Amino acid sequence: MIKYVFRRLLHGLISVVIVVAIVMIMIYSLMNRDLIFAADPLFTKTANNQRIAYKYQKWEEFGYLDYVPYSDYLIQLRNSGEIDEETRTEAVKLGKKALNDSRVTKEYVKKFEETYSAKGYTVTRLDAMMLGRKYAAGGKEQLFAYKDKPILSRLWEYIKNVFTVDNIHAVEDEAIGDRWIEFTWYDPAYGGDTFCPAIIGNGTKHKYLLYFDNEFPYIHQNLLTISLGTSYTVNQGLDVFDTMNRSQGSYVPRTVYYPTGHVEESADDLHTATYVAGSLGSNVVYKERFTDNYTSVMTYKSNMSKVGFSFVIGIIATFLSYLLGLPLGVMMARRKDKLVDKLGKLYIVFISAVPSLAYIFLFKAIGGKLGLPTTFEMDRANYLMYVLPIVSLALPSIAGLMNWLRRFMIDQMNSDYVKFARSGGLSEDEIFTKHILKNAMIPIVHGIPGSILGAVVGAIITERVYVVPGAGNLLTKAINFYDNGVIVGVTLFYALITVVSIILGDVLMAMVDPRISFNEKAR
Amino acid sequence: MKEQFNNQELVALDDLGLSEAELFTPVSHDDLESEKITAPRYSYWKSVFRVFFKKRINIIMLSLLGLIIIFSYVYPLFSGYDRFANILNGASKHLSPSLALERMGQNIHWILGSGGSGESTFDAVWNGARISISLAFICAAINMTIGVLVGAVWGFSKKVDLIMNEVYNIIANVPYILLISVLILIFSANFWTMVFALTVTGWLSIAYFIRTQVIIIRDREYNLASRCLGTPITRIAVKNILPFMTSVIVTLLAIEIPLYISYEVFLSYIGMGMSDMSLGKMIYSAEPAMLTPGWEFEFWSPVAVASIITIVLYVVGQNLGDASDPRTHV
Repeated sequence: MIKYVFRRLLHGLISVVIVVAIVMIMIYSLMNRDLIFAADPLFTKTANNQRIAYKYQKWEEFGYLDYVPYSDYLIQLRNSGEIDEETRTEAVKLGKKALNDSRVTKEYVKKFEETYSAKGYTVTRLDAMMLGRKYAAGGKEQLFAYKDKPILSRLWEYIKNVFTVDNIHAVEDEAIGDRWIEFTWYDPAYGGDTFCPAIIGNGTKHKYLLYFDNEFPYIHQNLLTISLGTSYTVNQGLDVFDTMNRSQGSYVPRTVYYPTGHVEESADDLHTATYVAGSLGSNVVYKERFTDNYTSVMTYKSNMSKVGFSFVIGIIATFLSYLLGLPLGVMMARRKDKLVDKLGKLYIVFISAVPSLAYIFLFKAIGGKLGLPTTFEMDRANYLMYVLPIVSLALPSIAGLMNWLRRFMIDQMNSDYVKFARSGGLSEDEIFTKHILKNAMIPIVHGIPGSILGAVVGAIITERVYVVPGAGNLLTKAINFYDNGVIVGVTLFYALITVVSIILGDVLMAMVDPRISFNEKAR
Repeated sequence: MKEQFNNQELVALDDLGLSEAELFTPVSHDDLESEKITAPRYSYWKSVFRVFFKKRINIIMLSLLGLIIIFSYVYPLFSGYDRFANILNGASKHLSPSLALERMGQNIHWILGSGGSGESTFDAVWNGARISISLAFICAAINMTIGVLVGAVWGFSKKVDLIMNEVYNIIANVPYILLISVLILIFSANFWTMVFALTVTGWLSIAYFIRTQVIIIRDREYNLASRCLGTPITRIAVKNILPFMTSVIVTLLAIEIPLYISYEVFLSYIGMGMSDMSLGKMIYSAEPAMLTPGWEFEFWSPVAVASIITIVLYVVGQNLGDASDPRTHV
């Protein structure tokens, strides 16, 4: 059994990787790259050479290609100590045309072209565009190199970076000093004299690797981070996984003991501190509070994350639909062709035929008439606002469950074992609950893990209609804003959930029904 | 036997003194005639329609369907619908039905009021219905044809099954919203792009469903017997299995057609629909009107028409599916 599940999981992971590859091909190769500029106000302000350079720069940010301007190359050379600042300022001055370059510039331009051509880059030089003796708007000369990322290396890089284990060599900055990991009984983030164990590192990406606090699940870690791709437009600079899991809403201030001893009411969550090279000296605010470069902190916010909202609504709706759908399905099967069955059928036809958008709007209108809140407001905690989204999610799945359970039970009603049980003198109640239901439930059980895990994904229409800040709309939003990182990340997340829930469904089915076995020998 | 019969003494029939009618007369033997079955004639499709029309609800639904088709395909030819005909007339915009009838004249165009650019909601709804229904029928036709053919092969051949299962696992995991939106961005957001986007992978789930059905019937005894007698696979598929699947296919069609209308509404709502003013696009663009007093008809008319169309198609299809199951013909 374990061996079988493991093999299925491996199989599933391979297909997830292929799915990610297909999605990458779709968004990076098939889609027209110029579309990202359609709603870009900066793009319309640029012209000529500047516009071309701007395009490449943006494309790099969206992850399409690697773009290296000549000036960046020179800065790189300076940082590695190959040239001094003086040569750099001399070499960076490009002529209006390649012919007009000075001797130093010519030398380094040649070097630049050679280095990047060897790496497979395309080196482009745009000559200055003149209007008489002046530059035309955005007509300054440009020199840069670019290379499209090949799909395989892009895929490999992505998969390699999904899991990162933090270690003391994570920070590359030399200014970090000694690299160490330390265990403390008294977490300095609580003032230093409250008993609270923590593991703190220096040289690691996160300052706190393991810590406790008063929020569920009480013990937290930063040792293993999951990154599904960086968002560019939806939630700038943030990883998709964080976008989905980070709390939202307004700031919640609490007493914070900063490393310098500064105590303040602030929403900063010191446990999330990450290293930003050279940040301490750059800002007076940081200098007052921090003693090292671990200055980038997240904040406490008052509400659940996107996944949190989706999950709460989804899980209650799932629970409700099983609680109501199953008894109703049994009732319909028992009173086949009677009034209950006919009413149930009417309801099933209504739900399965009418576009989901139409009945969700209908529920919204009816709910609004009844005085229920029809839109979600995060900062005004009111449990009534959960009612309509939950109802809108639960009613269709109730119909689905009713339909299938009724179908399966009626199919079972003519089996020999039912006739045998009846001839043996069992009451109808016993036959239905002990025999038919047990057999009819087997295919239903298969869907339970899927509906529970599916709650995390969220519902597109429901969340949109009721303005729920959930995860359901992440994909559509990302598509609308051409946020390639988020599209890939969300796809990976969805695909993983589907694969895992099908496997769990099979396992659960085998647990419920002893006739189903995944053992090699039994088959 | 034969010899015995020959040896018997023959009696002249005239000696018995019986009338012509009472006497046995020799009947000529006809090989062709002897093959005929004397049971009442059974025609499959006739029985299907007999069972179908026995239910009164089906006749009501079918006439409703006829009415919808007339309104969405014939009516726009006469209504002369032009969305921007009244764009300059400020007094014609966002009218409730009673106000529109009063201001614009007592005719059928204005019984549902008018929309944001002064167009008649009634005409717009049927124009949209035409686009949505056409889309649904074309997509269903393409997907069902490819799906049933591929599904039959998929179910029959174990080698194909191995490959297709992997393909299915992968394609089913690519979010279809993403696929559709990428296709719409690559091409333009017109009707045929939408058809392409909905059919490029849409046949796969139908093929999968058919494959499961084929596998269930494939190894039944009568097919085994047929194969033992040397019937070629294609003949088994066409003559033995396909008739069995008619009701399944019709039921599937009943689910698929309304589903494409729902899909189109859904995609338009999340802003990934086509540029034509289909029902979904109308709902999407009239959403702010839902809560504005006096404008509700702009929003609820397309919603109601979409719902009626899908319900009618669904019920007709389901009952036709039931009727095409030979077990109901007794």
